[in-house]
Amino acid sequence: MSPTVTRTISLPVPGAALLEVDDLSVTFPTTSGDVDVVRKASFAVQHGQTLGIVGESGSGKSMTSLAIMGLLPNGGRTTGSVRLSGHELVGRSDREMRRVRGDRIAMVFQDPLSSLNPYYTVGLQIEEAYRAHRGGSRKAARAVTIEALERVRIADASRRVDHYPHQFSGGMRQRIMIAMALCLEPDLLIADEPTTALDVTVQAQILDLLSELQRETGTGMIFITHDLAVVSQVADDVLVMRGGDPVEMGTAEQIFSRPQAPYTRALLDALPRIDDPFSERPTAPATTGEGRA
Amino acid sequence: MNDAPVLLQATGLTKDFTTRGDGVFRARTTRFRAVDEVGFAVRAGETLGIVGESGSGKSTTARMIAKLIEPTAGTITFDGEDVTTARGPALAAFRTKVQVVFQDPFSSLNPRHTVERIVSAPLDYQGITPKQGKRALVRDLLDRVGLNPDHLQRYPRQFSGGQAQRIGIARALAVSPKLVICDEAVSALDVSVQARIIDLLRDLQAERGLSYLFIAHDLAVVRQIAHDVAVMHRGKVVEQGDREAIFDHPQEEYTKTLLAAVPTIDPSWEAARATMLEQERTHGSTAGRTEA
Amino acid sequence: MTLYLLRRIASAIGILLLISLFTYAIFFLLSPDPAVQICGKTCTPDRIDQIRAQLGLDQPFWQQYLEFIRGIVMGRSYGEGASAVSCAAPCLGFSFQTNESVMDMITARFPVTATVAIGAAVLWLLVGVSGGLLSAVKQGTGWDRGAMMVALAGISLPNYFLALLLQYVLVVQLQILPFPQAVPFAEDPVRWFQNYLMPWIVLALGYASMYARLVRSNVIDTLGENFMRTARAKGLPAPLILRRHALRPALTPVVTLFGMDFAGLLGGALITETVFGLNGVGKLAADSIAKNDQPVIMGVTLLAAFFVVIGNVVVDVAYTFLDPRVRVKSA
Repeated sequence: MSPTVTRTISLPVPGAALLEVDDLSVTFPTTSGDVDVVRKASFAVQHGQTLGIVGESGSGKSMTSLAIMGLLPNGGRTTGSVRLSGHELVGRSDREMRRVRGDRIAMVFQDPLSSLNPYYTVGLQIEEAYRAHRGGSRKAARAVTIEALERVRIADASRRVDHYPHQFSGGMRQRIMIAMALCLEPDLLIADEPTTALDVTVQAQILDLLSELQRETGTGMIFITHDLAVVSQVADDVLVMRGGDPVEMGTAEQIFSRPQAPYTRALLDALPRIDDPFSERPTAPATTGEGRA
Repeated sequence: MNDAPVLLQATGLTKDFTTRGDGVFRARTTRFRAVDEVGFAVRAGETLGIVGESGSGKSTTARMIAKLIEPTAGTITFDGEDVTTARGPALAAFRTKVQVVFQDPFSSLNPRHTVERIVSAPLDYQGITPKQGKRALVRDLLDRVGLNPDHLQRYPRQFSGGQAQRIGIARALAVSPKLVICDEAVSALDVSVQARIIDLLRDLQAERGLSYLFIAHDLAVVRQIAHDVAVMHRGKVVEQGDREAIFDHPQEEYTKTLLAAVPTIDPSWEAARATMLEQERTHGSTAGRTEA
Repeated sequence: MTLYLLRRIASAIGILLLISLFTYAIFFLLSPDPAVQICGKTCTPDRIDQIRAQLGLDQPFWQQYLEFIRGIVMGRSYGEGASAVSCAAPCLGFSFQTNESVMDMITARFPVTATVAIGAAVLWLLVGVSGGLLSAVKQGTGWDRGAMMVALAGISLPNYFLALLLQYVLVVQLQILPFPQAVPFAEDPVRWFQNYLMPWIVLALGYASMYARLVRSNVIDTLGENFMRTARAKGLPAPLILRRHALRPALTPVVTLFGMDFAGLLGGALITETVFGLNGVGKLAADSIAKNDQPVIMGVTLLAAFFVVIGNVVVDVAYTFLDPRVRVKSA
């Protein structure tokens, strides 16, 4: 692909947020009829800001991000509107979406070990992303790659660029994933549970790294997690989801200091606190969780 | 809290894993020390939480205590007896007193066995016949852990994660053990489910005087359930003490780093929320607001 | 790496020795007295003893076995004096029925076997791998189901049946191919090719079917891996994703399987060669079994074992090159 390839989705519509999602629904056909995994989610992400999407398993938070990217598995259908800088993404052909993916919207996934191909060096995997969108020589791509690795603080980057994924620790692999996502300078980064599989000290480092990179590049971010405490630290705005439905949305401060929805309140009550003394009262309120089936 | 008698004492526990290494005929071996001279005590009716990150050796330690793997060195004393090398009848006796709840219920419960069979299995293996009969006991246990006793004939896959974990707990309780080892027992569960399981475990402890050896990587969870805490790092116990000491006054650098790394919600937000809830309680709630 | 190689070769030699011992013991215990056989109908006990001495059959088992091993390494001779027969290293035995050393018999026939094996291998790799790949990419469609049914038939049909069927259809009925006849390549390349075509097809069909199924399931598994999702999320073009990210993980196990299968074929495809009248090592084995020419049977067995063991070593070493995770630690 030549570097001057026309990007039809490049010129932002004035006044538009970076990402606007309206009534996004995701449906999967199954043998027993259609199943909605996301029902009319609406939210927006501003340039340089972070939207945290928080929910438990089955809440539809991951499916929402895959729908935005056009990466739904196995026959999933997306309805509603997703506008990137004012340009509609839903309904675009896979070919058009391929130009968006990686270049305008990049994604970082939960398990960095299985998310990288074990048969190829990390350098190659970053280079190919770069070259797929910008073209150019291998040499140029390699230089970009090494620089990207240095930016995420991989020591000895010029040598380690030729190492394989299994030769890195979990935290370093996630840095590599972040480097891979950011090397094309996307407008939006979607991070799907990026620190869930990592130790807590490593998580802290990765979260610091993400916020620093975000400040430097002005990238917008969607941060998906089940961890309320993490969301409270990284997100400017928060969307709470449950079983496919959006439950509550607001700024982080609003959600955490004045939660309105019963589910949000219950989640916050149930969260174990590290600074909360062992008390006699039960940790779980009666409104969440399962009862006797 | 420190006057409860010691139920289980571990001293100098060490575990080495050897791998056949290089050399023409694999003569040179490498030895990896997963657990290095670890010692701690679990008191009767109380919980010792062992926290650590991956590679800290906490799971290996738990397995040694559960006698699922052999220690390379060290001693384990339970109820006054040295059980480090227990075999045969002594080991069987140990197993009636010490049970385990594992992390992932869907891989630790045999998917082809019914709930009844799963929960009553320890009774069969130990050759224990309860007075009221096996089935009645199983029904009792299911009821106690919050499951419907009529679901005896169901299979694990028909339950949610939290419910399946309750089955695992019921199974652990079947032989009325004194010590239950919880190896990351709530780590795979959603937050709200986690909270209910922690409550269940605490209630059971209060009722039955159970002791827990609670292995976890999540410090906040450990805070909710442990009376004493041991922090492990690279095979060693870096610091241990009672809950307040560890969480409020950590001494070691690693412990401080670990605690500092745990994400927390802004205290002013927490305070605001508490105030709001308090106001609603006293002035009546502002009718369940906007579900977005 | 060299240490690993040395270790593997050492263990390969060990395995071969063990196999040779086992095989020798079986033939020693189970076969009828070869001296009696060679002696024939007009036999006297004296004559039998004479032959036994000549063949060294009066020695204890261990000594006979060691003689045999020595023969492989250094060559040996049978009998003494004027009627002595020498057998150059590696001496896998001597056939007293045909009066040739087994090794000579094998080397004369090996080119045919190799031709059959190589031709079939090329065919089954092309058809099997591409068929499996296509099926995986078009999973669930009519093409996929059809291809898998054909594959199932291919695995289920016995070689000899297929061979005869093919001959009947192609040679007798449709008359597309002439009746198979041994012709050297230099003399008549076209005829040579036609000669081998049916054996290649027969042999390849079974393997191609197996490989198609294997490749299909490997590719399907690989397509579901997380790193495929990453590749798509990076916006890579679909052909690149398939070529680079899906094929390598999916085909690596196939490469190692191929190594083993091919090595096995070098020991001779008994049935196929016999049915088509190809004078290869497999046919030699079949004929010798029918004639109960013990030394030849044993020689061919050992040869086949040799190829399999060596194939195993090659495959193991190849795997360390193919899969970065399995690289032997070298600093």
